[in-house]
Amino acid sequence: MRNKIIAGVAVGAIAAVGVALPAHAISDTNADLYVLHAVPGLTVDVYVNGDLTLDDFEPSDLAGPLDLPAGTYTVAITAADAADDSSPAIGPIDLTLEANMSYTAVAHLDAAGDPTASLFTNDLSTIPAGEGKLTVRHTAAAPAVDVLANGAAAFTNLSNPDEVKANLPVGTISAAVALTGTTDPAIGPADVTIAEGVNTIVYAWGSAADDNLTLAVQTIDGLHSVPGGVDAGTAGLAADSNNGLLIGGLGALAALIALAGFAATRITAARAAK
Amino acid sequence: MAARILALAAMALLLAGCASPQAPSIAPEPAPAPLPTAAIDVPRQSSEVVPVQPAAAPIRIQIPAVAVDIQISPVGIEPDGFMQIPENITIAGWYRYGSSPGSATGSTVITAHVDDFIQGLGPFATLASLSAGAEIIITTDDGVDHRYLLESVQSIQKAQVPLDQVFDRDGAPRVVLLTCGGQFDENVRQYSDNVVAIANPL
Repeated sequence: MRNKIIAGVAVGAIAAVGVALPAHAISDTNADLYVLHAVPGLTVDVYVNGDLTLDDFEPSDLAGPLDLPAGTYTVAITAADAADDSSPAIGPIDLTLEANMSYTAVAHLDAAGDPTASLFTNDLSTIPAGEGKLTVRHTAAAPAVDVLANGAAAFTNLSNPDEVKANLPVGTISAAVALTGTTDPAIGPADVTIAEGVNTIVYAWGSAADDNLTLAVQTIDGLHSVPGGVDAGTAGLAADSNNGLLIGGLGALAALIALAGFAATRITAARAAK
Repeated sequence: MAARILALAAMALLLAGCASPQAPSIAPEPAPAPLPTAAIDVPRQSSEVVPVQPAAAPIRIQIPAVAVDIQISPVGIEPDGFMQIPENITIAGWYRYGSSPGSATGSTVITAHVDDFIQGLGPFATLASLSAGAEIIITTDDGVDHRYLLESVQSIQKAQVPLDQVFDRDGAPRVVLLTCGGQFDENVRQYSDNVVAIANPL
């Protein structure tokens, strides 16, 4: 071990010995649940296992995340200010949630225009550096669509209630939705930001018949990866002399051992707090 | 005395009873059952599509103690997955996918080559000689000067550099300056270590 502290006391900030949980880990026991309201013109109450969980939930509202122990939950969606969940407008539906997963339950219209609910699993896989993920979900009362990015078809023939996804370079895309086989936008175009390490989830929702098709966006961040390293020199002009190495060695060794112990304590404490 | 008062009171009650043969009921309706209220407060947000405003980018770094005052360019990733670094050793690279000085959380990572055969030693060769408490000023392209104090400088073998901590995006805001150091392997033309300087907002 010949790492050394040149200046200052590194307060466990960058410890040479370190273990970190993946940035996107949720919990070994719990799941994250988001709820999106994508039924036009209907304010609702959302019940989970008989308990009112979202009061006066408005169209296009996104709630969450709810931190729920893994298990099966019964969700019922009623008219706003119902006395209880005995006569739901949508559901009840059973949602099975697994630990360390992220879900979005969407109240939306099916292709024929009837209210329904779908459970989507949000992709939390690590995204390569410099890229973001675009997920598109069809939750609208409309036939199959093509998704256009910057005017060209990026995804084709997407049907309610399916999703498509891809990693894209970071930037802003002009996104539009057209009925499959056409290029005349039924929704958009709208500027959608593809941010690094973020799963940007775009929902097409509303009703083609009622002429209120629109987009909703949900983002889940923290999915980035880190560079493989930093090579910042090619000539050897700044290399340590052997002398410097000896002088730096002993004191730094003691400091590093203390540092490693401190870092381990911090990690234990952080895990216990989870 | 007490008996007379009671008798008077009884008479008054009787009279009152006679005066209003049929008292109208003003009894209230039974209270409606209260509407249920949400058991927990779940955060809500709009799902409307709004363009994300990019954060202000750092463009200049000054370290007065070692007379460093150089430009910063935004950089990304090399095809091999390593961080890009400007070829010109007098320009530092800011990892543009990570945090910036205006970010609420995370490390602003700034790197420069320590040396080059033709260009010689670079300004970041001075990182290894900095003392704790040295002031670092980073200017962003919105004209704001962000001031930091050096916490530590460490020389860490490259294989042991905790890259997820260097490129952290969730912890307290800070600046991490990186270059190369340690021993130089003439065969692969690479340094053994990264010199890692950490500074906290003043």
